[in-house]
Amino acid sequence: MSDPVDRTIDRSNRAHPGDAQEAFDIPVTDAPAIPLNGSDELDQHTRVDLLKQERGIAKQYHGGPMWMYPAAAFGGIALWVSFFPLTMFFGFPLAVAFVISCVLATGGYVTSHEAMHSNIARKGDKLRWLNEWTGKVSTIPIVFPFSMARMMHLEHHYHVNDPDKDSDYTDEAPNWWMAIYKTWYNRQPGVDGSIHHYKRILAEMGTPEADKALKDTLKLQLLFMAVLFTMAWTGFAIEAALLWWLPRHIGLSYIRFYLSWAPHHPREGKTGRYDCANIFKSRLGHVMSMGMQTHLIHHLYPGIPNHKTKDAYFALKPVLEKRGVDCSAL
Amino acid sequence: MVSITLTAMEIAVRKLFAIMPFLFGIGFIAPLTAQIMASFSLAAPLGMSNIVFGLIFGGTWGLIATMRGRWL
Repeated sequence: MSDPVDRTIDRSNRAHPGDAQEAFDIPVTDAPAIPLNGSDELDQHTRVDLLKQERGIAKQYHGGPMWMYPAAAFGGIALWVSFFPLTMFFGFPLAVAFVISCVLATGGYVTSHEAMHSNIARKGDKLRWLNEWTGKVSTIPIVFPFSMARMMHLEHHYHVNDPDKDSDYTDEAPNWWMAIYKTWYNRQPGVDGSIHHYKRILAEMGTPEADKALKDTLKLQLLFMAVLFTMAWTGFAIEAALLWWLPRHIGLSYIRFYLSWAPHHPREGKTGRYDCANIFKSRLGHVMSMGMQTHLIHHLYPGIPNHKTKDAYFALKPVLEKRGVDCSAL
Repeated sequence: MVSITLTAMEIAVRKLFAIMPFLFGIGFIAPLTAQIMASFSLAAPLGMSNIVFGLIFGGTWGLIATMRGRWL
């Protein structure tokens, strides 16, 4: 049996960086390959000088201790797994476990996200295994294998806001309440959104890495179903629903809204270096929006870890304003 | 357009995922419905047991979701 796959989309042209090194690999010239936006009044020398200043500041926010991400990832997964026997056999309050499971499912994406950008340890580093395992365990509660998560997130970075190539473009919606609705709608079995959209992109890519990511996804989804069905038919359906099924849905919706829709809306036409993400004020604040208020910094310098993004933004703000970035919200 | 050759296992898994909403209906929603009813002391209609009601409810809902591609 063969399956026809449309592989006409060329993903080889990467307009934006995906990791720390790529962010600095772009030559310090006013090369047309990198849209440098900003005011037309800025001459080439000013723009090149601004980019040098920007990089000098950004470099200060790279590196530093990253142990808290693996610690949070492994501690979180251990706590979440412990909730299963604790609620099933030892009377631990299910309502408490449910709330914490929602937090862990959602927050797991943040720790995994650092691993996606190899910010915990790069390829060839002694602690590379820690980077990979931090990524792998973090997204188990949302049933999103790390191999797929990393590939699709980097595709989002490379082609941010490109309607054909940005893997997260299906999250776009005209307003916040439609965006929340779409987080649920995109997960429907017959809709080409969310993980269904990712599966299609991976099939189109057809590389060995994409094939592995697809297989990892099938395995994790089958494991998820096997656990839910087994728990349900042995008398623990409510525990299964409140520890894994519902936290996964709540977590995915929260992640899609705050990590994809809010920092990029409106997406249309915003594919430039300085307009691909927003600086915005979240009603839920910095922590509850998972650091997304300053998401533009992350797209400019993916090597700056999440906990330093806000400070990096305030340091970079004068340069960004000269570039024409709307920094009025923060 | 290119063609990808699929193994027998991949074909089987694809077929399984094609009917996953139905399987989810009888595999998860059915016992979940029965256990929620039991925890709220609700009786199934027409003298049915909770699990039979759950299977009818979950199976029907899952079948509709499989055919429509939407849960709601």
